[in-house]
Amino acid sequence: MRVLGGRAVQAVLVALLVGTACFLMVRLLPGDMAYRIAASRYGYDLVDSAAAEAVRQELGLDRPWLVQLGAWFADLSRFDLGTSLASGEEVADALRIQLGHTLLLSVAALFFSLLLGPPLGVLAGLRSGGWLDGVLLALSAALRAVPAFVLGIGLMLWLAVEWEWLPVAGVGGWREVILPALTLALGLAAASCRVTRDAVAAVAASPFFGFARMKGLGDTAAFRRHGLRNAAIPVVAYLGLQLVVLIEGVVVVESLFAWPGIGHALVHAVLGRDIPMVQGTALVMGLLFVVLNALTDLACWLLDPRRRTA
Amino acid sequence: MTLSRKRLLGGAMLAAVAGIALLGPLHGVDPLRQNLSDALLPPGGAYPLGTDHLGRDMLARLAAGARLSFGLALLAALLAAVAGTLLGLLAALRGGWAERMLLGLADAVQALPALLLVVLVTAFAPGAFLPLYLGITLALWVEFFRISRNAAAGVLARPQVEAARLLGFGTGHILRRHLWPEVAPLVATLFAFAAGTAVTTVAALAFVGVGARPPVPEWGSMMTELLPYYAEAPLALLLPALLIFLTVLGLHLLAGRERA
Amino acid sequence: MGLPLLARLSLAQPATDTFRVVTSQEINGLDPARSGYVFTRLQVVETLLGADDGGLPVPQLARAWTLSEDRLTWRFTLRQAARFHDGTPVTAEAVVACLERARSQAGLLGNLPLASIAAESGAVLIRTSRPFTPLLAFLAHYSMGILAPAAFEGQAVRTIIGSGPYKLSRLLAPQRLEAERAEHWDGQAPTIARLSYLAAGRGETRAAMAEGGQAELVAQLAPETVERLRRNPRVAVDIRAIPRTRLIKLNCNLPLFRDIRARRALSLALDRQGMAAALLRSPASTATQLFPPAMAEWHVPGLAPLRRDLAEARRLLAELGWQPGAEGILRRDGQPFAFTLRTFSDRPELPGLATAMQAQLRDVGIDMKVAIVNSGEIPAGHRDGTLEAALMARNFSLVPDPLGTLLQDYGPEGGDWGAMGWSSAALHEVLDKLGATDDPAERAALRARASTILHEELPVIPVSWFDLATAMSRRVAALTVDPLELSFRVAGARWVG
Repeated sequence: MRVLGGRAVQAVLVALLVGTACFLMVRLLPGDMAYRIAASRYGYDLVDSAAAEAVRQELGLDRPWLVQLGAWFADLSRFDLGTSLASGEEVADALRIQLGHTLLLSVAALFFSLLLGPPLGVLAGLRSGGWLDGVLLALSAALRAVPAFVLGIGLMLWLAVEWEWLPVAGVGGWREVILPALTLALGLAAASCRVTRDAVAAVAASPFFGFARMKGLGDTAAFRRHGLRNAAIPVVAYLGLQLVVLIEGVVVVESLFAWPGIGHALVHAVLGRDIPMVQGTALVMGLLFVVLNALTDLACWLLDPRRRTA
Repeated sequence: MTLSRKRLLGGAMLAAVAGIALLGPLHGVDPLRQNLSDALLPPGGAYPLGTDHLGRDMLARLAAGARLSFGLALLAALLAAVAGTLLGLLAALRGGWAERMLLGLADAVQALPALLLVVLVTAFAPGAFLPLYLGITLALWVEFFRISRNAAAGVLARPQVEAARLLGFGTGHILRRHLWPEVAPLVATLFAFAAGTAVTTVAALAFVGVGARPPVPEWGSMMTELLPYYAEAPLALLLPALLIFLTVLGLHLLAGRERA
Repeated sequence: MGLPLLARLSLAQPATDTFRVVTSQEINGLDPARSGYVFTRLQVVETLLGADDGGLPVPQLARAWTLSEDRLTWRFTLRQAARFHDGTPVTAEAVVACLERARSQAGLLGNLPLASIAAESGAVLIRTSRPFTPLLAFLAHYSMGILAPAAFEGQAVRTIIGSGPYKLSRLLAPQRLEAERAEHWDGQAPTIARLSYLAAGRGETRAAMAEGGQAELVAQLAPETVERLRRNPRVAVDIRAIPRTRLIKLNCNLPLFRDIRARRALSLALDRQGMAAALLRSPASTATQLFPPAMAEWHVPGLAPLRRDLAEARRLLAELGWQPGAEGILRRDGQPFAFTLRTFSDRPELPGLATAMQAQLRDVGIDMKVAIVNSGEIPAGHRDGTLEAALMARNFSLVPDPLGTLLQDYGPEGGDWGAMGWSSAALHEVLDKLGATDDPAERAALRARASTILHEELPVIPVSWFDLATAMSRRVAALTVDPLELSFRVAGARWVG
């Protein structure tokens, strides 16, 4: 429980740090903010100097930056994230929708990757150096080498256009989540397959495992009895890390599959200098990181009896 | 497959990529020269690997891109590996407040979305590739830090290491004898994949409209540029990916271990 | 072998009675000035007037209008039975409130010579401070969309309550919305009961949706995908030229571009045909002058077409004192002929075109760098004078009458999306006269004069005209494409069979 208390302190620190850092970085960027905000509000056909001037007046961009940052923190302490400079929507409302969609996508991707990665990793690890091990290594290198948009287009053309199994893109029903989740899952599975394989190979090479097999247990039985729990710890620790990476990796997939997620929104907000939106998004992602870290700690603690007494 | 054969295969893959880079000057075609009426030609004739959407020679562009991407990706991964591993070992050896500080720093960097970090860094110098890759280094080092710290902490807790300490062996000895053999292979594996990640991250950023600067041939932005032509010229789109694949797998095999 | 069986397990969206529209434009806020085009094109929100394919005003919320003797006061009578989607009648007061709100905001209406907007015995009265015929066209713009009083909370728009044949039923900004037949619609009920809108930013995604039969209307097809879709039996591809031109804006204050011969040389170096064929996949979109033939009133067939002539370009540059230097780059007084062109990727073809032009200009010794920026950096650079050149796409039907756009772009101070450091007294005179007269013969002569001045002086260099490529499912009939992009016209379409 002390660990969780530490995480709560961390959460507050993250909020302060992320909010300030985002604000300063966006303010320091070259280029006139008012024009960029006007461009993201009205589109490239209608952005002009009159619109930019109106934006500057309306948002008080001429105020000293310390005053503006102070206003944001004052609002934050009342749990008010402000309104988006571009759409005029409440940042909190926008985030609720976008974060929800990104989480849905991430959980689905994680689920698919768990179906694919670890089981293959176990098989490869038990026969490390075998042909399956080699093929899986090449495959995971290939998945690292192909950018997500190429993979996504490939799956889209194959599963949605050619075979018509799934919707090409969009949002609204449960079917739409499958293709983008699968695109993400392949990359994730490649990574988790490697980690599992390494962990299992280490367990398989350990003396206690060899002993279990001398007792006459088959490979599978020996692994189930003695290997699974030991191999699971690094995999779980790694997945916690991956989930964070995943939430960022979604930006490409979200753009490609027209998915209203947080990664896509963050890039647009940075490009359009929508400071409250950047701060809000980064804040939520930072806090999510803290939560995931806490969950990972908890999962490892449950898996490893030795740590429970420590 | 034995270790030496793995290394041989890995070396051959890297040699192939290096060969492409060296072929460029021999081929003697300007990677920027365009000929719009020759757009998207398949390999053959005057263009050994075909042309891109502006009728530029793919071989010349891949070769020029190899020098740029290969160099910068390795540089980004190398910087991240050196910084991350050193800090990781430092944290494990020192422990105490130094370790807590470094862990806090790693947490802070990760709490700030890496994507945001890279996008912001590149926004300061739009279109330049070096800051782009250095921005990626900022995000990559954390993984090296965590892996090396965790591995080192595990090794240091072993009885034989404690015994070595009691016997009066210095930090240098423990580092050489006990830590390095355990940590190096992990770092090497991570390094192979980090180099690949660096190039695909550049591609992903170019895809969302960040960091591209025509007409410089860079593998990541080449793939983004060629994406719209996936149906007409799939080979042109996949060639850069193939080279990244050879790089990643080659590095991985070269750094390979017998077990685990 | 197993495929037909597997295909039956399809999870793809089954064909429904929903008309699915896919475009590239995200729904970025509810305010009519922001993403108003989404709601007006889907016929959820109406404007006072519409425009026909030729840009002439047609009734929409206003069923008729008159102009006073002094040509200063316009009187619009509203459709009597018109109701907002919340059941309240569309009153002149509600219309005036929306127009006043649009006028107070940055945007089109703010720049007009308006004296007053008022409601008078059920009609809307608009007074201008001088005779101003393009007003009717401005009223068709989406930022002048009319919402019910209940849609507002203070000055902010909280929900979309329009008066069109469809009403909003679900909104998932920025990607998707759904709409259904409005029960209070006073016209003929549309045959198609439901529609959905999806913003898919990537051309590849939109093409795949059309290809897979997962959309009834896909707008803004990427040029690379058009050929393939044409061969697809499921869809009909409509290509039509629209009043939009891709052009290079030059900072004529720079010594590089001040002389007309330098601008002409630049223009002569461009391979417009090559780019139109290879990148835009539409040889007919090669620009030979600023205004495309689709703008029949402004296009002058007799003008000598813009062409490529490298020898002539080199000759003009030599005449200006430019001599080849190191690596073939031209130099004059020790300075290279080098500049930076800004462009943006919101229109995905622009970076590719800029890259192609970079190589073409390099052939005559001009060193052009390309910077891909946010679209706002172009007007910003215009204002602070740092812009050297920009590649952009200018929409001349922003208001259905192009005169409105020309007044903004080529006025005495130039315009954010028009001339920079260039002005022509002759052109101002012509444009002023155009705003004040409605004699057709005189107007035609004046328009031709304006086009000719722009063609000869080249304050901006036209690169290519614009094709609007739309894929329409063969499951629907009676669907037409609006060249002015004011409406998707779903209400007039019906299902086949």
